[in-house]
Amino acid sequence: MNQTRILLADDHTVMRAGLRLLLERQPDMVVIGEAADGRQAVALAEADKPDVAVIDIGMPNLNGIEATRQIVEKQPEIAVVILSMHSDESYVMRALKAGAKAYLLKDSAEADLIRAVRSVGEGKSFFSPAVSRLLLEDYVHQLKQRGEEDSYELLTTREREILQLLAEGKANKDVANLLNLSLYTVETHRAHVLQKLGLHTVPDLILYAVRKGIIG
Amino acid sequence: MTLAKAGTKLVLLAGFGGVLGLMALAGLDAIRALHQLEARNARITQEYLRRHRSLEQIRASFYLSSTVVRDFLLDPNPEAARASLAGLRGIEAQMEAAVREYAAAIRPDEQTLLSELKTDVGGYWSTLAPAMRWTPRERRAEGYGFLEREVVPRRASTLEIADRIAAINDQALSHGSRRSAELFVEYRRRLTEIFGLTLGIGLALAGTSIRHILRLERESRLRYDQLQRAQGELKELSARLVEAQEEERRAIARELHDEIGQSLNALLVDLGNLAAVMVPAAEEASRLLSTAKHLADESVKALRNMALLLRPSMLDDFGLVPALHWQAREVSRRTGMRIDVETEDVPDELPEEHKTCVYRVVQEALQNSSRHAQAHSVRVSVLQGPARLVLTIRDDGNGFDASRVRGLGLLGMEERVKHLGGAFEVLSWPGQGTELRAELPFAAQPQNYEAV
Repeated sequence: MNQTRILLADDHTVMRAGLRLLLERQPDMVVIGEAADGRQAVALAEADKPDVAVIDIGMPNLNGIEATRQIVEKQPEIAVVILSMHSDESYVMRALKAGAKAYLLKDSAEADLIRAVRSVGEGKSFFSPAVSRLLLEDYVHQLKQRGEEDSYELLTTREREILQLLAEGKANKDVANLLNLSLYTVETHRAHVLQKLGLHTVPDLILYAVRKGIIG
Repeated sequence: MTLAKAGTKLVLLAGFGGVLGLMALAGLDAIRALHQLEARNARITQEYLRRHRSLEQIRASFYLSSTVVRDFLLDPNPEAARASLAGLRGIEAQMEAAVREYAAAIRPDEQTLLSELKTDVGGYWSTLAPAMRWTPRERRAEGYGFLEREVVPRRASTLEIADRIAAINDQALSHGSRRSAELFVEYRRRLTEIFGLTLGIGLALAGTSIRHILRLERESRLRYDQLQRAQGELKELSARLVEAQEEERRAIARELHDEIGQSLNALLVDLGNLAAVMVPAAEEASRLLSTAKHLADESVKALRNMALLLRPSMLDDFGLVPALHWQAREVSRRTGMRIDVETEDVPDELPEEHKTCVYRVVQEALQNSSRHAQAHSVRVSVLQGPARLVLTIRDDGNGFDASRVRGLGLLGMEERVKHLGGAFEVLSWPGQGTELRAELPFAAQPQNYEAV
C-alpha cells in the first residue's frame, strides 16, 4: 500500500503524541518523524523527505511560518499543513505566502487533520471551516459596508474555472492539462483574473477564493 | 503662604504709607512756614512805617512851630500874633499826640531815647511858655534875642534825637529782615531734614521690599521646580505603570495561548483519540466524552478571545499594520461601524513602545467612536514620514467641544503619546465628528524590500 509519509512538528509533546495517534489510526498514513522546533523540522524534512509536513505555527527557535518557507523553498514537493491557534487572516496570509497548502486551527485538528492531509496529498488546498467562514464573513461585511460590487461578477466562466483550480493549489501546467488548454492561454487567463480582482500573487488569490467560499 | 502674604502687605502698606505721610507733612510744614514768614515780614514793615510816620509828624511839628513862634514874636500886628499863638497851641497838641503814638509802638531798646525825646519836647514847650504870655512890647524888645538864644538850639537838639530814633527804627527794620532770613534758613534746614528722612525711609523701604519680593520669587521658583519635578516623577511613574501593565498583559496572553491553550488543544485531540478506541456500544461514555470535548472546545475559544483582547499576538508576531487591520475587523464585526485602515510606509520593525502606543491609542479611539460618539464610520491612517510617524483617526460621530471636555481616555492617549516625545491633538466640534492626531518622532530605517 502506498502510504502518505508525514513529518510532525510541534513543541508540545502531548499534542504531538495525540496527533501521531490520530494520524496513524489511518492505514494509509505513517508518521516518519517528529520535531520539537522549527529548526529540527527543516532538518528532518530535508533528511526524510516526507510527503506532508504538519507544522505548528508557534514553535521556539524557528517559528512555523519561517520553517515552512525554508522547507518549501528547498523541497517544493512537500505539502505543508499549518497548525495554528490563530484564525485571523494576517496569519493565514503569511502561511500561504510562506508556501503552506493547508491552514488548520488546532482546536479542529482532531476533526479535520485527516481531511487536510488527504487534500494536500491530492494537491488541493485546505482551510479549517472556521477560518473559511471568518474570512468569508469579513469579506461580505466589507463589501456591504462599502457598497461595492463583487468583482467576481466580472469574471468569465472560463476564468472562474481557472481561479478555482489555481486556488486549490494546482500549477499552471496541471490546469492546462485538466482543461485541455495551452500553457500560454492559462497564463493569460490567470493574469486577467488577478487584474480583474485587483490581486497580485497566488496566495492573494487563494485567500480571495477562501473568502468567496470557492474553496475551503 | 497666607501669613507671608499678610506680612508683605503690612510691610508695604506701612512703608509706603509712612513715606507718603512724611512727604505730605513736609509739604504742609513748608507752606505753613512760608505763610508765617510772609506775615512776619508784613508786620515788621507795617510797624516800621507807623513809627516812621510818628517821627516825621514830630519833626514836621517842630519845623512848623519854629516858623509860627517867629511870626508870633516878630509880627507887630496883635491880631496876627493872636492867631499864631492859637496855631502854636494846636501844634503842641499834635506833637504830643505823635509822641504818644510813637510811645505806643515802642521797642524796649528805645525806651531811653524816648524819655530823652519826651524831656526835650517838654523842655522846648516849657521854654516857649513864658514867651507866649509876653506883651507886644516885650515881644519887640526880646523877640530876636529869645529866638536866637533859646528856641533854635533847643529845636536843633530835639531834632537830633528824632534823627537818632529814626536811625534806630531803620536798624530795627534791617534787624527784622535779617531775622526773617534766619527763619527762612531754619525752615529750609527743617525741610531738608524731612526730605532727607523721607528719602532714607523710602530707600530702606524699597530695599526691604525688593529683598522681600526677591525672596518670595526665589521661594516660588523653588516650589515651582519642586512641583515640576514631582509632576515629572508622576508621569514617569504612570508611564512605567502603563509599560508594566502592557508587559503583564503580554505575558498573560502568551501564557494563555502557549500553555493553557496548547494543553486544551492536546486534550481535544486526546479526547478524539479516546472516542475512536472506545467500545462503540458504550453510549453513556461517548455522550460524556462529547460533552467533555464540547467543554474543552468552548474553553479554547474563550481563551483565544481573552488572549486577543489582552494583547493581540499579531502585534508581536507581524507588527503594527496587521494588528490594526485585525482590530478594525474585530471592532467592525462587534459594533457594525465601518472602519477603514490606511497605512503608508509603516515599517515592520517599529520599536515596541511605538507599536503599542499606536495600537492602544487606536483601540481607545475606536471605543470612544462607537460608545460615545455613535459614529457610523471611522478612518484610521498611519503614515511614516521622514522623521515621524503620523496617526490620524477621524470619525463621523457626534463630536464634542474639545476645548472644554477631556475625558480620562483622551488624557491616557495623550500621556502615552507625550511619553514618547510626541504631539497629540484633538479636533472636535459638536455635530462635526472627531479627529485625533498623534505624531511620534521616529525615523524609519531604510526598508528591506526583499523580505516578504
